[in-house]
Amino acid sequence: MLDVFNSFYGLIPVTIAQSLIVSFVVLGVMLPFRILNFPDLTSEGAFPLGGCVCGTLIAAGVNPFLAVFVALLCGFAAGCTTAFIHLRFKINTLLAGILVMTMLYSINLRIMGRTNIPLFTYDTTFTLLAGPAANFAWVKIAIVGTLIALVVAAMLYFFMSEKGTSMRAVGASPDMAEAQGINVSTATIIGVGAASALSATGGSIMVQTQGFADVNMGFGILINGLAALIIGEAITGRQTILRQVLAPVVGSLIYYQLISFCLTLGLAPADLKFATGAFVLLMLALPNLRKSGGGSQIREKIRE
Amino acid sequence: MTDMLSVKGGTKIFYRGTQDERRALDGLDVTLKSGDFCIVIGSNGAGKSSFLNAVSGKLPLDSGKISIDGQDVTRLNAHRRAQFIARVFQDPMIGTAPTMTIGENMLLAELRGKPRGFSYGLTAARRARYSEQLAELNLGLENRLDMQVGLLSGGQRQSLSLVMAVSTHPKLLLLDEHTAALDPRTAKLVMDTTVRAVDQLKLTTMMVTHNMEHAINYGNRIIMMDAGKVLVDIGPEEKRGITVPDLIDRFHTKSDAIALQGA
Repeated sequence: MLDVFNSFYGLIPVTIAQSLIVSFVVLGVMLPFRILNFPDLTSEGAFPLGGCVCGTLIAAGVNPFLAVFVALLCGFAAGCTTAFIHLRFKINTLLAGILVMTMLYSINLRIMGRTNIPLFTYDTTFTLLAGPAANFAWVKIAIVGTLIALVVAAMLYFFMSEKGTSMRAVGASPDMAEAQGINVSTATIIGVGAASALSATGGSIMVQTQGFADVNMGFGILINGLAALIIGEAITGRQTILRQVLAPVVGSLIYYQLISFCLTLGLAPADLKFATGAFVLLMLALPNLRKSGGGSQIREKIRE
Repeated sequence: MTDMLSVKGGTKIFYRGTQDERRALDGLDVTLKSGDFCIVIGSNGAGKSSFLNAVSGKLPLDSGKISIDGQDVTRLNAHRRAQFIARVFQDPMIGTAPTMTIGENMLLAELRGKPRGFSYGLTAARRARYSEQLAELNLGLENRLDMQVGLLSGGQRQSLSLVMAVSTHPKLLLLDEHTAALDPRTAKLVMDTTVRAVDQLKLTTMMVTHNMEHAINYGNRIIMMDAGKVLVDIGPEEKRGITVPDLIDRFHTKSDAIALQGA
């Protein structure tokens, strides 16, 4: 038992670094889902898109900071496409997301020209910022942590600004937003675009820390993001915009520690996706389970 | 006095060219003078909602022209027309943003039709102003600016919705059966607030209602619609002293006459 605890303890810093990176994706899941009321799956394609674009550019000798920025822009374009497909052709948001995500797989392959690009030998934003210390988990935590703090602060400020308030209104009541002179389509496109930009940024940071870009790297990231979001919201609540913006980061930090703990306890990695899916299902089903729980109580009363 | 709203030959046909073709608006002509408080009545499917939606921009016309205060708005989208128009919806859940606070809802309304920037939204000056505006309702909302609107009762939400609508002095106020979902006592409260605001600010107002008593007691004009047209237009002179039976009588005489002509 002590062994298990020791190996879990040893993994904590690495897991924190990973969860901070995935926080970008969780923020990218939260924004359309909670702020715009636009259930979106584009993240699943935008995350590897960011990784592939960034990896390809770094391998081509482009400045890593510029590579991250281009990855961000590509993610933005992907999100805008999903929102546009939904608004223009009245296709369900989830289906629009699946379409874009599927097409992105081919695009990602085309961008890289192969399925995997190793980046160990290239300079990344981390080696440029921290030099040889870049591989220490705590250095990654400091760099990504600072960045995510800035992003969360910027989002918090934006959602309390005049423009951000109107974006939230689009999700809260589109009819009301329109009647208040808000362009619902523009707000939706920019919002979903920004969300995918966040996911793509997460992907671009991920490839630099793991040392390679892979076309399959996004598989299941959306469900991980959703699970993290649900955990985060269970802890912070959603009553204020501060809580809503903090939930993804808090949730991600806890969710990946839980996963790490389960893995050290002996959960087979192959079963991980099932466990995550079952967890998300359970959390989503909980309100209904409670209701039927009330029903069984009544039944017991009848039996008495 | 100038015309605040003018609809000329407004036509909207749903399912055109199919068996289900339906003329929602059929060459509708309506003019509202500045300061008019016009009640729109008519049976279900008469075109009241289509009329309101055509004016607000939610329903683009197939043909015809709409101008507000002399400006042609026919080609403007709903969100562009919002600079002239404020609207209170029938459903209290739609007219406000339930997951946002009272203060944020007031902010959204204040910036209706104005450019929105990146500056902080709910400044201290704005909060003070909103409290003042909400205090006039006597519902205690002025002390609850940070409360989520979803926690308010239907009547409170409609009252808030009304304050949001009139606070910007819109050129045109559209009321879409805005008391229909409320109990009679609350409906009266909201109606009284409406009349007070409209009188005070001299707003040009269009109110759709199914409530004949409201049609009689409020406003200075009644438009009765049928089959996408204005059937009866009762002006200020005639409206004084009119009763519910009178109104129903006029409606039937007119629609019978049309039915006979058609036969």
